[in-house]
Amino acid sequence: MPVFKLCMKIIRKHLPSMMIYVVIFLGIAILITTASTRSSSAGEFTQTKTNIAFFSGENTPLVQGLKKELSKTCNFVELPDETEKLQDALFFRSVSYIIRIPKGFTESFLNGGSATIGKTIVPDSVSARYTDLAVSQYLNIARLYVKNLNGISQEKLVNDVENDFSTDTPVELQASAQTASQNDFAVYYFNYLAYTLSAVLILGIAAIMLVFNNLDLKRRNYCSPLSAGSMNVQFILANFVFAMACWIIMVGACFVLNPDALSRPNTLWMVLNSLVLTLCLSGMSYLIGSLMKSRNAISAVCNVVTLGPCFISGVFVPQEFLNGTVLKIASFTPTYWYVKANNQIADLTSFSYGVLSPTLFCMMVELGFAAAFLAIALAVGKNRKRES
Amino acid sequence: MFSHIFITRLKCLLRDRQLVFWTLLFPILLGVFFNMAFSNLNKEETFQAFPIAVVQSDAYQKDTAFRTVLESVSKGSGRIFDLTVAENRQAADKLLAENKIKGYITVGDEIGMTVKNSGLYENILKAFLDSYRHTASSVSTIIKTDPAAVGRGLLNDLGAQKDFTREVPISSAKPDNILNYFYALLAMTCMYGGFWGLKEITDIQANLSPRAARVNVAPVHKLKAFLSGFCAALLIQSAEILVLLAFLMFGLHIDFGTKTVYVVLTALAGGLAGLSLGAFISALIRGGEGIKVAVLLAVSMTGSFLSGMMYGDIKYIIQQHVPILSYLNPVNLLTDAFYSLYYYDTFGRYALNMGLLGVSTFIFCAGTYFIIRRQKYASL
Repeated sequence: MPVFKLCMKIIRKHLPSMMIYVVIFLGIAILITTASTRSSSAGEFTQTKTNIAFFSGENTPLVQGLKKELSKTCNFVELPDETEKLQDALFFRSVSYIIRIPKGFTESFLNGGSATIGKTIVPDSVSARYTDLAVSQYLNIARLYVKNLNGISQEKLVNDVENDFSTDTPVELQASAQTASQNDFAVYYFNYLAYTLSAVLILGIAAIMLVFNNLDLKRRNYCSPLSAGSMNVQFILANFVFAMACWIIMVGACFVLNPDALSRPNTLWMVLNSLVLTLCLSGMSYLIGSLMKSRNAISAVCNVVTLGPCFISGVFVPQEFLNGTVLKIASFTPTYWYVKANNQIADLTSFSYGVLSPTLFCMMVELGFAAAFLAIALAVGKNRKRES
Repeated sequence: MFSHIFITRLKCLLRDRQLVFWTLLFPILLGVFFNMAFSNLNKEETFQAFPIAVVQSDAYQKDTAFRTVLESVSKGSGRIFDLTVAENRQAADKLLAENKIKGYITVGDEIGMTVKNSGLYENILKAFLDSYRHTASSVSTIIKTDPAAVGRGLLNDLGAQKDFTREVPISSAKPDNILNYFYALLAMTCMYGGFWGLKEITDIQANLSPRAARVNVAPVHKLKAFLSGFCAALLIQSAEILVLLAFLMFGLHIDFGTKTVYVVLTALAGGLAGLSLGAFISALIRGGEGIKVAVLLAVSMTGSFLSGMMYGDIKYIIQQHVPILSYLNPVNLLTDAFYSLYYYDTFGRYALNMGLLGVSTFIFCAGTYFIIRRQKYASL
């Protein structure tokens, strides 16, 4: 099979540039795995803690009491009290709230004065609102004591407030929520897979196509004793083998990194979805390959065609964070449907036809794209043949 | 002679459409993608009243105190919740399962809540219910200690929640962390200008390209030829940077702060730094063009990554843990300069960044000069 062998040779030659994508992908996947192991508290409601910086000009029992209660909802981040350092921390959300208790606050508070606590926040943010609630809750209850029990000592006040705060609202977690968080890793992994897979497939398949589309080589090939049919079969087989190899390597890595993903049906559906995407991307790469005339243009086109859809379809930034217009534009790319299907699969707890049908619809759309890409590529190929 | 070489080089460089793509169109496209993908991220961080439900029951109807508080925080512009009353628990469960609400409240012997996740909004709901619970507990403690407190207006005090905090802004600019992506993108584009510098060296070192071999035979001082070419590259690079900057500012409405003149100067200085970096790498590394391009790409992409172009928090992490790296990385120096101009009210850090960038530009230029000067070829 000389044609097949040649294709493999071309792929081998371009392996380094493809490996860059694969290595970066695996690196990120490993990072996600190590990061996601710590959030293994599925099935239980967890108190979210926001990061805050706490500076106090005095150290009274009241301030200590406030700090103690805040520690239930906040992590205290140690920061040097320098403007630029604090600005940096706020900008990069290392803290979302900086509390500064002025000297004399406690005295003023106990005497019904108007001293206030300084806060520096990310304006209008959810986390600032959350911390606001905690601070105001503590101080308002403390004020209730101060106003209504004349001459209450500071120690007794802090003690009583702590007592009030010792019980919590009971929280139930809805049952179906539990599997969703187990699939977090798989969703990240498979969504990001779309980027790497498209980059590698375009680089590989377009590189093969470029060689075969060279007019001189084509003419030479036509006078070889190999029939055109056999040549085409070998050529398609080579592309297919390459695409499948990419798919198997990358999906396989998922199970190496996270072996228990194999046991969940959700992951298996994602694997199927990625196979559909592989077919679709192969079609797209084939089309790009048949349009390209120079090797240098391939990396430019490859970058635009892979980065663009990934940004707007929810690979790098989750779909729920994208605005409606962007998603509408994105729905003209197969990546959008792939990511959408993955997100749906992650939320599934049962796998009847009825529940799966929206996901299957997404996969059908991906296949539709594949067919469209192939049809255009064949039309282009035919046109070019006539020209040459 | 200068103008002759200058114009020829200008034509020569501009005809390299691939380079024009990478140094101008690609950053513009990335900017558009960034803008599309990140435009909503800040909205996501902004607090908005969120939907919850309360399950209808006799206990809820009887508990007027709780009902009043719940209704009071669910109306008006400063509201926390968009409240719906669910007929029964099944109805509330259904709303929750369909993601129509973040959680629901049940009033029975005690007040409880049911949610699906443990996110910030769910925690705000819990903080609200906790605060009701804690207040109730404090009222009973107060009455137990001093029953007369009710007569002195304890219940009135309950309604009068006071805000004990006052906002102290730390900067005149908003801490909008999306901006850093665009600053890093602009810094990356400056470094991509290195491709022009790389090409200048390839076209002046006789062992690297036939064109350079031809230029070397001409009776022109090599430094003069190189400087003319370098100026042509600098002109193109500066024009491209300004186009990108204008596109970011006026096309995508990226906020660069109020010190626009400094921003433009910084961008131009960054362009020069990038150009000289490319020339230096090209002069330093012996080998084919492929290797030079790969090294330049590796330097600029690693630099961009470390200054937060792919993942914003990296810049801060590096600054916290390996500060030396953030001062050695030219992409970060530039990103940080734009950031300082936008965010700080002082010029200290900006000056430090620009000083270090100036030093590295000088090193790149001097290095290039000493490598390429006086190279003669007996035979090629």
